[in-house]
Amino acid sequence: MSIIRVSHLDKLFGHLHVLKDIALTVEPQEVVCIIGRSGSGKSTLLRCINFLEQPTRGTIEVDGLVVDVQQHRLTNEQKQTIHEIRLCTGMVFQEFNLFPHLSVIDNLIEAPLTVKGTPRDQAIPLAEMYLDKVGLMSKRNEYPSRLSGGQKQRVAIARALTMEPKVMLFDEPTSALDPELIGEVLEVMKQLAQEGTTMLVVTHEMEFAGDVANRVVYMDQGAIIEEGAPSQMFSAPGDPRTRQFLERLLRAE
Amino acid sequence: MQLTQSHEGVSLTQLIVKEQERERRLFQIKVVISWIALFAFLFFLFSGAQIGDFKTIQLDGSFINEWAPFIAEGVVVTLEICFISIFFASILALLAALGRLSHIAPIYALSTFYVSLIRGTPLLLQIFFWFLALPQLGIVLPGMVAGVIALSLNYGAYMSEIFRAGIQGVSRGQREAALALGMTPGQTMRRIVLPQAFRFVVPPVGNEFIAMLKDSSLVSATGFVQDILWRAQKVGRANFHTLEALLIAAAWYWVLTLIFSAIQARLEKRLSQGDR
Repeated sequence: MSIIRVSHLDKLFGHLHVLKDIALTVEPQEVVCIIGRSGSGKSTLLRCINFLEQPTRGTIEVDGLVVDVQQHRLTNEQKQTIHEIRLCTGMVFQEFNLFPHLSVIDNLIEAPLTVKGTPRDQAIPLAEMYLDKVGLMSKRNEYPSRLSGGQKQRVAIARALTMEPKVMLFDEPTSALDPELIGEVLEVMKQLAQEGTTMLVVTHEMEFAGDVANRVVYMDQGAIIEEGAPSQMFSAPGDPRTRQFLERLLRAE
Repeated sequence: MQLTQSHEGVSLTQLIVKEQERERRLFQIKVVISWIALFAFLFFLFSGAQIGDFKTIQLDGSFINEWAPFIAEGVVVTLEICFISIFFASILALLAALGRLSHIAPIYALSTFYVSLIRGTPLLLQIFFWFLALPQLGIVLPGMVAGVIALSLNYGAYMSEIFRAGIQGVSRGQREAALALGMTPGQTMRRIVLPQAFRFVVPPVGNEFIAMLKDSSLVSATGFVQDILWRAQKVGRANFHTLEALLIAAAWYWVLTLIFSAIQARLEKRLSQGDR
């Protein structure tokens, strides 16, 4: 059974049609990278999955939880399902969004404590395990303002993992980083992929997509143009738009 | 190249910084001296001295000596009014700000109605209103309580903008991160947004408190709150020395303002150094 299944998803901002009849599935333990130029709707698609953006129409299914949106007003039942979907999806943002008034460890245990009601003495070892996984145990008691961008993003990844989600959503996780800090974040993500974490990643890092992704999805103007294994997509893209996008990217590098 | 090279162990930038520091200190010294001169001039104006045809204001020293302690007792009352009022005003301001940000029409309306009504009428009038209207409902409050209600409601309305700005100053990403972690909108507000908004809000609330120190004197107009101004007017009128009495009151308000401005400046500095 697919862990994520998006079907007939449309998103309009006023008259702007940013997502057009999107269909996308992610299987357990799969790593799917969404690529495409900025403004193609990839981030909006990702944000529709955990309803940070409310779809205009369409069906979102995550781990068997189904929300079928046909009208703007959501029912209480749907709101409850959205809450459950958020519990089984972890999200990593481009701008990290760590809570600046909380120390690193408190950033990690905030949601387990308040949302899941996990006792403190259970939440802390769990948080420490994930902090160790991203290699930042030494920053346990620091405040986010004292961390580098790369460290912030690794903490943000650990924060999402501490909720033990079924699938991780990454929204351009390295786009706000200085070039020399991108590697450490990608390294952590690679490790997660190798451990079998299900990941849906919006990214501009083609090398990462090539190395780690099981499947690459190319989006343009709010639609999925084509998808396939990275080897096939990068060497022999079927659609001229994909080819043009990749060529321009290669030339830029 | 010569510019950036060190000269006898001290770089040029360090020299420039030192020079700027020296200039800044010199400026501060000049300011202090000027303040002292202005103070001296102010005292001179009230000294009763006469130079040729130029007369200064004559004050009755014995009256001041006799009644200054009585007026000083009002300081406690004034501070009491202000501390209680700023506390309730902050709560009202927070509620009004949340109402203003609400998507529920009646709550939004209630908030904007309250703010509009209070901001559209004079504070002195509001003080009289609470003092005169409540007894008609069979509620007779001590003048102090009516005064605190009036000040709290008035300042709450004005301060709601401060709280709204504070809440909106917390980035959208913070809210999204909390929601994505499964927190409810209420938890997000309480645990993530408000603690951060608090930091933005403290310095301007301090300013409001300082403004309130002076506005609280309007409460004395009801005649039932024995604050600084009430006491000054009472003894001044009774002894035909209103000017002396008012000057004592003015001195107290000024001193209180100076003290709380200093505290506020220090608080602001400390908050800005925090872990952003």
